[in-house]
Amino acid sequence: MTRSLAYEALRYLAILLAVAIALIPILWMASMAFKPIPEWQATGSALTWIPRAPTLDNFRFIFGTSNSDLIVALDRTALKPILSSFLSAGFGTVIAMTTGTAAAYGLSRFGSGANLPLALVQLRLFPPMAVMTPVMIMWAFLNMTDTWWGLALVYGIVTLPFAFWLMKTFFDDMPREIEEAAMVEGCTRVRVFLRITLPMMRAPLASAALFVFILNWSDYLIALLLTTREWVTIPVYMASLSSSMTGQLYGAKAALGLIAAVPPVVLGVLIQKHLVRGLTFGALKQ
Amino acid sequence: MTAIHLQNLVKRFGPFTALKTMDLTIENGEFMALLGPSGCGKSTTMNMIAGMESPSEGRIMFGDRDMAGVPMGRRGVGFVFQNYAIFTHMTVRQNLAYGLRATRRPADEIARRTKAMADLLQLTDLLDRPSAGLSVNILQRVAIGRSAIMEPAIFLLDEPLSNVDAAFRAVMRTELKQLQRTFKQTMVYVTHDQLEAMTMADRIAVMDHGVLQQVGTPLEIYNNPANLFVARFIGSPGMNLLQGTPVETARGLAIDLGPLGLTPTLLPEQAAAVRPGKGPVLYGFRPEQATIVGDAQGMAMPVTFVERIGARTILHLGNGPQTAKTVFENEAGFEQGKILHFAPHPAAVRLFDAATGTALKGH
Amino acid sequence: MKDDAAKLGFRLTLPAQVLVLFISVFPLLMQLYISLTDWSPLSGLNWTRAWQMWNSFANYSDLIHDHRLWAALGRTVFVMAVCVPVEFLLGLGLATLFMDNFPGKRLFYSILIMPMMVVPAVAGYMFFMLFQSGGPINDILSGLIGHPVTIAWLSSPNLALFAVMVADIWQWTPLMFLILLAGLAGVPDDQIKAATLLGANPWQRFLTIVLPRMKTIIGIALAIRVIECFKIFDTLFIMTGGGPGVATETISVYIYKITTQDLIWGYVAAIALAILIVLSVACVWALKRMARQ
Repeated sequence: MTRSLAYEALRYLAILLAVAIALIPILWMASMAFKPIPEWQATGSALTWIPRAPTLDNFRFIFGTSNSDLIVALDRTALKPILSSFLSAGFGTVIAMTTGTAAAYGLSRFGSGANLPLALVQLRLFPPMAVMTPVMIMWAFLNMTDTWWGLALVYGIVTLPFAFWLMKTFFDDMPREIEEAAMVEGCTRVRVFLRITLPMMRAPLASAALFVFILNWSDYLIALLLTTREWVTIPVYMASLSSSMTGQLYGAKAALGLIAAVPPVVLGVLIQKHLVRGLTFGALKQ
Repeated sequence: MTAIHLQNLVKRFGPFTALKTMDLTIENGEFMALLGPSGCGKSTTMNMIAGMESPSEGRIMFGDRDMAGVPMGRRGVGFVFQNYAIFTHMTVRQNLAYGLRATRRPADEIARRTKAMADLLQLTDLLDRPSAGLSVNILQRVAIGRSAIMEPAIFLLDEPLSNVDAAFRAVMRTELKQLQRTFKQTMVYVTHDQLEAMTMADRIAVMDHGVLQQVGTPLEIYNNPANLFVARFIGSPGMNLLQGTPVETARGLAIDLGPLGLTPTLLPEQAAAVRPGKGPVLYGFRPEQATIVGDAQGMAMPVTFVERIGARTILHLGNGPQTAKTVFENEAGFEQGKILHFAPHPAAVRLFDAATGTALKGH
Repeated sequence: MKDDAAKLGFRLTLPAQVLVLFISVFPLLMQLYISLTDWSPLSGLNWTRAWQMWNSFANYSDLIHDHRLWAALGRTVFVMAVCVPVEFLLGLGLATLFMDNFPGKRLFYSILIMPMMVVPAVAGYMFFMLFQSGGPINDILSGLIGHPVTIAWLSSPNLALFAVMVADIWQWTPLMFLILLAGLAGVPDDQIKAATLLGANPWQRFLTIVLPRMKTIIGIALAIRVIECFKIFDTLFIMTGGGPGVATETISVYIYKITTQDLIWGYVAAIALAILIVLSVACVWALKRMARQ
């Protein structure tokens, strides 16, 4: 089928427009991150689209090595929030993936836990805000408020549905003959799972883990409720960055936003193939 | 009903040439099979007739209308896909009426023609059944009916039987042939199965590597293959081809097959096509067209394998690089390792130029 | 042998079961308990003794007369009713443009799905900057109109809600695009060709072949977005904090505010429980309907 030139032209026009809309907010933040203070806001009518005097001051500022030209000094640097984000999202991923993978295998191969698929979908249905007060009470009781491990545990539970569903569809897709052959040769089921199945599933496991990590990394609300000072994550820290002297710390926040945006975008490209499967709970395998 | 003329048709996909300069006329109302192994260009040819792809060079004419630039929806071509492409989310009735609805015919006309088509194809009882889950022969009828209802001048069928299990194919072939008689349309049938082509087609166009090898009736192609490819491809097993050189003997011209000795003398019209010393030829004969002769006569080859397939027995014969097969009805007395003395029917012998591969014919 | 398998299966699923139970049953019971009291973290009482503050279902009757709650619910539904269809249509439109191959397809595809990769809170901050009165959006508008535009997007109640929805559409249209494109790719090519040969024009092909074949996928995409949109919080909260006033206060924002500012946790529990019950019923109903089809 050959299509008319007019169609091709219109298509490119529409796609380029969409691409521009998709990129402008991201590029604006990137541009902001490298702007010195005078360029943060429009002076007169001239808005600075591309930094005239690009600087790394904003990054230095949030890491505490420079006060830039601001009178304010930060009471803490971005280092600990970044660490907190990595630790909580990372361990949350470990929790979700280990329990999720085990349960997915149990259901896929032995039919155990038939209630899980539905229960886990339902879990996704509820607004986290509606179940967080009891968690806050309990976490306070257990002294887990404002700790990365307390946050990681909640992350693990919240993203468990994704880990479970993704791994379940991967296990369902895997031919059983290989496992059966190994069992005939005398391997126990546990050995087969550890020595045959898991190594074979390395690539799917990795993409599922990255997917779950992105979700954990993206959280704001739960960290907002469960961390207060010591272990706040990047988004919470970012929102708290403002000063009465200069109003919004645009450039500093943009720099932080850029740092927060990098891992998901990079990891997202890595797992592009499985993105649809993950987002639709494995309903669509593409 | 229209004749199809393919004139100097070429199709290239990037650097790959799928079809090399094809000239073919398919007569009005004719059932033409495009036969060849996969990748021979037969499907490409058909897709160009349907308008799914445009030729790189050359013209396609329906009657005297040039089809260049005519989109596939307006060519008046019925197409039956390999998997039938039934709209499985619709009922049989909706499938049959799809084309009439799409072209906005009046409701009463749609109802009338759908009913008529269903009656013709014995689908009346199934009209309101969902088309998902119907058996293949019914799907085939729905697919044909869905195209036929638009009264296309030309019917194109793309390997419609390749997904059907062997036992059912015979039934489907018969049904398809009957449908063609009913509709009397020009039909182009793409297949890699010679049995389908032989049993159904009026004429067969044999293709290989994007080149049209031979066009003719099934018997012409079977009896007089134009070249080595057709000789080997048609028939099961294909034609035996033994390498040799023409020599003059006391009784007339024969082919010297080297270690295998001399062939029986050629008939005069065969002899006219070859001359001694003109270079090597291939001596061809069909496995079915050999008879056992006395020890001292004919050709002698050792039996390397005896393949018994029910009523027939296929003998694999071999002597060094020269191998042949013969097919016999009776299965008595064949033993591996024995020497078989046989002779092809003199009139069934075909000769090919070893260098060019084309058939050698006397005048 | 069979018992062994069952035992192993049970052990493998046990951790997940515990976590699910922990996050569903325990909060449910606790919410139920607290929702019947006036308990607050400021009340000086340990939550286990909240029963001393029993208020005879006052929280539940308050809930019915809570105009702010109903307004927040209405706003959430409004945002959902606007954003999800817009995202769907834009996503579907883009997906159809991507159906066949063209130069640059992979690159454009990668760029177009970027917005959904951005951390929602960061996306909120991006749009907070974009919608400043001296920000790029007004700058672009000024360029288009020809004289300076200084709309205070985020401080006007109606415009703030609009801005929030723009951000949501920006971030989640890619999700629709991604899922619907996968769905379009699953429509058999032969069927489209067959319809074309039978004389159907592109629009007819879309309505009679493509859409019916994508019914399930469209259902999944819409369900995902409706569920996520109902929870809308991060982007919106960073952009407006629910303000100005309560102009952009959605259910999640409202509960967040009364949890962290008013600290009336007994009442929060009542709202949360009501939402959980309504959603569970809706979920069961939806699943039953799906099972029937």
